[in-house]
Order: sequence, then C-alpha cells, then structure tokens
Amino acid sequence: MRVGASAMGASSVAPLLAACGSGGGSTSSGGGASNGGGSTPKGPGGIALARPNHPVTLPLDADNKAIPSGMKPETGGTFTVFNYFDYLDKQVLTDFGKKYGVNVQLSTFDGIDQGIAKLASGSVRPDVTEMTPDKLAEVVAGKLLAPINHSYIPNLPGNVLPNFQSPFYDVGARYTVPYTMYTTGIFWRSDKVTQDIPSMSNPWEIFWKSQAYKGFVGVLDEPRETIALALLRRGITDINTEDPKLIAQAGKDLEQLSSICNVKVNETSYQDIPQGRSWLHHAWSGDPILAVNDYLPKGFDRKLLRYWHAPKGHGPIQNDCWGIVKGTQKPVLAHLWLNYILDDKVGYDNFVNYTGYQPPLKSVTPDTLVSKGIVPETLRSAVITENDFGPTSLQEMTLTPAGLREYQNAYSQFVSGV
Amino acid sequence: MSVVLPVRAPARGGRLSRRLRRTADNPWGRPRFLGAVTWLYMAWSIVPVVIAIQFSFNAGRSLTAWQGFSLSRWYWGDPINSVFKDPALQHALLQSLKLAGLDVLIAVPLGVSLALGLARWRGPGAKAANFLMLFPLVTPEIVMGVALFLVFLHLFTFIHPGTTAQLLGHVTFSISYVVIVMRGRLFSIGRDYEEAAIDLGATHWQTLRLVLLPLLVPAVLASAIIVFAISIDDFVISSWLSCGSSCDTVPINVYSAARQAPLPSINALAAMLVYITIGVVLIGYGLYRLAMRGNRGSLADLGV
Amino acid sequence: MYPRWLWRASALPGTVWLFLLFLVPLYAVVAIAFGDVSPIFQLPVPVWNPLDWHFEHMSQVLTLFAPSHELWLVFVRTLIYVVAALALSVLIGYPVAYYIARFSHRSRTTLIVLLLVPFLVSYMLRMLSWVNLLAPDGYVNSVLTGLGILRTPYDWLGGHGFVVVLGLVYGYVPYLILPLYATLDRIDQRHLEAARDLGASRFSTFIHVTLPLSKTGLLGGAAIIALPMFGDYYTTNILSGTPDTSMLGNQIDFYFHGGPQPTVGAAITVVLAAFLVVVMSYYLFSVNRAQKEMHAV
Repeated sequence: MRVGASAMGASSVAPLLAACGSGGGSTSSGGGASNGGGSTPKGPGGIALARPNHPVTLPLDADNKAIPSGMKPETGGTFTVFNYFDYLDKQVLTDFGKKYGVNVQLSTFDGIDQGIAKLASGSVRPDVTEMTPDKLAEVVAGKLLAPINHSYIPNLPGNVLPNFQSPFYDVGARYTVPYTMYTTGIFWRSDKVTQDIPSMSNPWEIFWKSQAYKGFVGVLDEPRETIALALLRRGITDINTEDPKLIAQAGKDLEQLSSICNVKVNETSYQDIPQGRSWLHHAWSGDPILAVNDYLPKGFDRKLLRYWHAPKGHGPIQNDCWGIVKGTQKPVLAHLWLNYILDDKVGYDNFVNYTGYQPPLKSVTPDTLVSKGIVPETLRSAVITENDFGPTSLQEMTLTPAGLREYQNAYSQFVSGV
Repeated sequence: MSVVLPVRAPARGGRLSRRLRRTADNPWGRPRFLGAVTWLYMAWSIVPVVIAIQFSFNAGRSLTAWQGFSLSRWYWGDPINSVFKDPALQHALLQSLKLAGLDVLIAVPLGVSLALGLARWRGPGAKAANFLMLFPLVTPEIVMGVALFLVFLHLFTFIHPGTTAQLLGHVTFSISYVVIVMRGRLFSIGRDYEEAAIDLGATHWQTLRLVLLPLLVPAVLASAIIVFAISIDDFVISSWLSCGSSCDTVPINVYSAARQAPLPSINALAAMLVYITIGVVLIGYGLYRLAMRGNRGSLADLGV
Repeated sequence: MYPRWLWRASALPGTVWLFLLFLVPLYAVVAIAFGDVSPIFQLPVPVWNPLDWHFEHMSQVLTLFAPSHELWLVFVRTLIYVVAALALSVLIGYPVAYYIARFSHRSRTTLIVLLLVPFLVSYMLRMLSWVNLLAPDGYVNSVLTGLGILRTPYDWLGGHGFVVVLGLVYGYVPYLILPLYATLDRIDQRHLEAARDLGASRFSTFIHVTLPLSKTGLLGGAAIIALPMFGDYYTTNILSGTPDTSMLGNQIDFYFHGGPQPTVGAAITVVLAAFLVVVMSYYLFSVNRAQKEMHAV
C-alpha cells in the first residue's frame, strides 16, 4: 500500500474563522515559484502554502466552472479512474460500473508526481483522479482539476467527519473530497523488539538505538516522511520547514542509520514485519491494519504487532483525496463517483477488504473496528479519530520548488549511502 | 607475433611434487581440475534456476519450504493467484509474448536489410551507418531507457508510454543483434553463388530471391530466436516505457515481486517464460537444421 | 552486379530507425540535462539549441561528482563493484571457457547447451531464485547451518556489497564465457603444438601463447559485461535494498521517479554516458577490427 509523498491533514472548521489573512490565492498561474517574496512564501502558481493553522481557499477560474445541478448521469462508454494500482478495491470499480451502467477502468500511476506529469502531458485522460493535498496548489494552478458541485455529493456532509467538510488545504471543498487518512508512526513486532516504545521519552529515537536489530530495521521510501522522522526526533515539529540547515542536518542523521542498523528503505512493512524480514519499521497506520488482516502467516499471534504514533502536534497525520479531472466527458458520473466512494458501506468495504487505509467516515470508529475484529485491541492506536486533526496537528504540505529540491537533495544523499 | 619460450627448468623437489608436475605437464592428460571447475560452474549456474522452477510446483505458499508437489496449483489451479487465473499475471505473460513476437516481426526484416546494406555498400556513409548500428550494443540499458523515456515525453509526444513505445524500444536494441548475426553468415557465404547465378543468366532480382535469401534463412532463424530471447528478457526498457500495470511485462512483475513477498505463482509465471523460450528455440533449431541440410554450419558462421 | 542504389536503399530503413529512435533520444537526454524546468509542475523542458542551454543542473551534478562528494562516492562504489564483479567473472569464466574449448571432447555439446541455458532464462528469474535461496529460512542458510559452517542463519539479503557483487557475477558471467569460448575455440591448435614441441611447459604455453591470442575475446567480453553493470540498479534493489549498496544507476532512477529535479537525473545520465564512452569506443573498435579480421580470412 502506498500513498503519495505528501501528507495531508484536515483542519477543523475553526481555522475558517482564523485570522490568517493571506489564505486566498490569486488567479495568476504563470507566476512560477516565488521563494519568500513578501510575508508568506507562495507555492506553485502563486497559491499560498496551506498549513493546518493557515487554511487556503483554492482559486476558481472563470473558464473552469462546476457543472450545473440536477443533470442526469451519463451512460455508456468508459469511465476512467486514475489511481495507484493497489490503492482501490477493483470490486468498487465493478460495482460502480454496474450501478450506473458504464464500463469502468483503472488507469495507474506509480507515484503522485508521475500521475501529475501524465495528466499535464495529456498522455492519460481520466475522469477522476486520486490526489494528495500537498499537490493541490500545482494541479489547480495548472488547471488539471474541475471544481465540484456539492449538490451531487450528499455523502460528504452526511457521512464524512466534520473536519473534512472544509479542510484547510481546500476551504469549502471546492476541488476535492477526502479518500483515506493515516498517521505516520512506528510499527514493530513485540517478540523481536522487546523495548516498550510508547513509554520512551522520545520514541522516534529507537531507530538510532537499534543496533541490536541490525538488518531488520526499515524506514519509508519517501523523502518528506523520512526527513520528517529525523526532524521530529530532534524535536523540530515544523515538518514543512525549508531551512536548509535543518534539512541537511536531518539528512545527516538519516545517514547514520545506515551504519547503526543497515537500514532498509522500502514501503513493504505490511508484509515484511509479519513474515519476519523486518522487525522495526517506520510505517503508515494502514500498514499494521493491512498486515493483521491479509499477511499474517499461519499461527501468528496478532497481538505481537504493535503500532505507535505521536500525539497531536508531534507526529504527522495526513490524508489523500479525490478530484475531478478538468475536461472530463462524464462530469456527472465523476461527481457520482466522489459520492459513491464516500458511501458508508463502499468506503468500509474498500478499507477492510483491500486497502487497509481508513476512510474519513463517521461510522468507522476505533470501537466499531475493534468490536468487529478488524483491528485487535493492541492496534487501536492505528485507528484515527477526528480529534487527531486540528490546527495544531502536523501535516506534510506544499513546499516551494526550492524547498522540494532541498528535501530531495538531502534524501538523495541518504539513499546513496555515503 | 613473436613468442618467447623459456627453457624448461630442471625438476626439483620430492616425489609428490614430481608427480604433480608430471600430471601438470602431460599435454594430453585430462585436466581434472579444470573439468571439475567447469562442472561446478554449470551446477552453480543452473541449480538455482531449477530450484526456483521446482518451487513453482510447491503445494504450499512458501518459497523456502517445500510443502509437497502440486503440478497445477500455481499454474492454473489456485482460483485467485495462479498464472491463468490472476489477471495481472496473465496480462504480463501476454504482454511479454506480444512484445517479443512483434519485435521479431519488425526487427528481423529491418536488421536483415540493414545487414545486407552495410555489408555491400561501399560509400562514404557506410562507415557512419556501421558505427550507428554498433552503438546500441554498447550503450548501457539505463541510458537507453532514460533516453527513450524522455524522447517520448518531450519530442515524439504522439507516442505515449505504453505498448507501442515499449515495442519501439525493443526493436531499437534488437536490430543490432540481427545485423551482427547476419553479417557472419553473409561473409561465410561470400559472393560466389550470386556471381555464378548471374553468369548463368539470372536477373539480379532473381538472384536475390532465389539464391541469396534462401542461403540466409538459417541465420535469419538464428537471429529471430536471439531477438525473441532478448526481448522476453528485457526489463529496463520495458519498465521505463511502461504505462502502468497494464503494460507490465513478466520481468517487471518478477522484479516487483522479488522485492516484496512473492508467491510461487511468480515462479510459475517466470517458469512459463522459460518453457516458451525453450519451445521457441527448439522449433527454431529444428527449422535451422532443416534449412542447413547440406551445409556445414558452425558457430563461426553466426559471427560469434 | 547489382544496381548501385540497392544496398544503400537496403540499409536505409534500419539506419533511419536507429537515427530516430536511438541518436535522437540520446540528444534528448542532453537537451534536457541542459534544459529548463516548467514553473508550475517542475517538469523538464528540453532546450534543443545548444546556444540556449542552461548549465545550472550540469554544474550542480558536476559539483556532486567532485571527489568526496555524494555522486563521486557512489561512482567509486559502483566502480569497485564492477571491477570486483569483472575480476570474479574472469576468474570463473576463463577456466570454464578454456576447458570447453580445449578439452571437452565427448561432452562438448552437452556443455555448450548447458552454457546457453542462462540465455534462455530471464535475468529476473535468476535473481529471484537467489532471493529465495538467500532468505533467512532459505536453502543456503539451512545447508550452511546444517554443515556447521554457520551457527545462526546469516541475513544475506540484509544489505551487503559482496552479495550484490556475487549477484552481478551470477547474472553476467554467461555473457563473458560465450565470446571467450568462441575466441579460444578459434585458436589454431598448431600454435600450441608448436610451443609444446619447442619445449614450453603447459603453463608457459598458456601464458605466452593462449592468453595473448585470446586477448581480444577476453577484453571484448569484459567490455560487454562491464557496460551494463555500470548502469545496473535492479540487482542491488533485489539483493539488498539498503542505501549503502546503491549504485549510480540507482541515483539516476531516483531523480526520475518523482521529485522536482528530473533534469539532474538527465545530467547524471550524460556524465555516466560520457565516462563510458571510453569503454564503449574501445569495444566498438575491437569488435570492428575482429569482424574485419574474421571476414578477411
């Protein structure tokens, strides 16, 4: 299971009333990346950089309007969904197609940057696309998404958690609806890793003290996540910092991991930990849930798997979303897809049967999941509640291109093992 | 070439070393050590693959613990994960075969005509064309993969990454192999037969059609087999020009699986490729022997 | 005999194809390495006219290639792996080729068929089979612990350079043996007989006659496997997966799969290609010369 390099957290409604004045974006799209001009650095296309305590309203364009209400869904032809190849149950596609009498196909990308490149170059023309909020500024500025008419999506106010009704990265939910939400934390198996990680004063430090587990430790293969790990371990909570010194220092800290524990860099902890190829892994909250449901070898005790994530404001929490591709020939169906994926049963089944990543539905709570046996009591920490979100939460969000380069260069130094 | 030959030194040492030296010096003796090394190498080279293919017949899901023999489970038996039931694996197999087959159909004619042209063209451009032909053979795959990926994204944008792009990439690196194989055959044939035909009154089209091309058939077959094998094995070009999971070939699937936790179905998928390749080689070899009836062929003819 | 235009026309389709789909793409890499980046999406924008080239990305890459900087260290590591793999391959491959060429009489066909088997098996399958064998509970560990050579299972796949080198050797040595065998096979037996008749020991004959005569085959085969090894990135991903075994190909791969700097990836590719041009040119000339020699006979 993979999610994009960016994280997204939703903020609650309160920031709408917050006094962050420069929340609105301009409609200029050719401005390019200005780096620190004025008080707020601007992201791609001149749109401000959204943060949980700094919500941004994405601009609407005169020539990019939402469709009118009350139209009938299109029938026939092919409806194309653009997503990772393993981040959506194929059954959902089939059922949607049956419900609306249309042929549904999945077009895939390996990473969100590649997906955006394909959309921008026109080499794919899907109807809806999965998206990560930190890329919203560039896709909206690059006119790849069409705005949403909420009259087609009653499930958004009906089923979805309140903090996503108007998330900080997309005030008013003009372009997106949320898809999955997850924290980033530490995933381990207690038979091999005997330390009590949650009671450590700085649990992130375990990676730097993992000599005993040499060869069985891993971190995520995502520049933003892994550098955030190193930043948080030093107590730096601004995981969107663009300070070159901090980023470089984080890179150097990560390089130490190679000699400390021969660290592996991958995103397969959901398989590796139950199967014993890894004992301690930097992971997303969907990984233990996926592991416990699909990848346990016979006779493996579920209670051995553990997950820890930091309290609000000390560890990343993020979400993915869906958007409608501009120029789609089936805009009504696209809206209906967004509604469909937020249906209680569809979202729940997609989560439990396939992705392992929790949908932002009110009906999916830690208690229901534990009582249904999807999640053992010992992994309750892998389930997210709306209290985990808020203006004080940490989310990896949009950076300026210069900032992105800093992260990539530091990360490149780490993965080159020098 | 001058050869400096040292005079043999007088024997030294005791009986054992004399015995050893005698064994070593006997020019017609059997080199047991080298023979052992060779057979050991063969074992090292082939046994791991045999084991991998063996595990494709494993009754259980493990790739390290033999859980009993099951002929069909991972090939067509298992309703979800076997090669013939899992659409992703099936698709990869078909994609690999499709690309290899089309590659042969396109690269062999192009390569044969290029080989003929390069062998007989005496002109200023010939050297440049020859150099151009040899270039892909020495270019590392990642350089070619990056180059093709970028060119389809930024110049030939009417071709999107996908099966067409993959095919174009495969043909590009296959042509050179065809030319190398054909050239060997062309030089071993020489011009005598064609000159004889012309002397006997054939037009040059007739000579081409009835004398030259039939003589080339064995090498054409050999190059077709080689192109098929390298196309099926290709990983780098196919993955750089892939459109996503629906364009993935078998090596790409095996690569992703090797980095995660594969099931024996991946072994079965890769083994299917081996069976098919062996089948193609055997058929090709059979046709080759048919075509070479009356000629004495050897590896030297193929330019190896 | 034939009309003059015939052979030129015959060579035309292939040449045009290679020009459009080989030379032009190589130039595209250069155009992107010296190109621009689009403002919104940070996608590369090629610059075709050399007069408009931007040199920032190349200079960034070249600074990283300076000694003791990141790319230099990765390059040195790659070089070490390639040289080690090459040396091991020659050490293993030469005796095998020599034996098959000179000594195997009854079993020659069998041996040649066995030699060709790796060509029929996908490189990926051959690597996959080692992943299974080297797993913590795989056959290698069980055999070695059973024999008492190891006390506890060793994590072969835990990120070790020598495992990557062995993987490279396993993958590429067949490509060395075959041309080497062909060259050794072609060595005229009479040269060797002459040397023996003049009193040389077997060892001297080898050093002074066989080895020099097989030089082109050996060096050609070495070039033919060294070049792909330099660009390899998948072997280390499969057999290791840790940062301290990453090779130059991994760096190129990294910059192209996400992130704002694909131009840096293109620049690294250009530098790698420039470095390899030396090896490539050597191979081109030697192949050309060998073909001429062979066909002049």
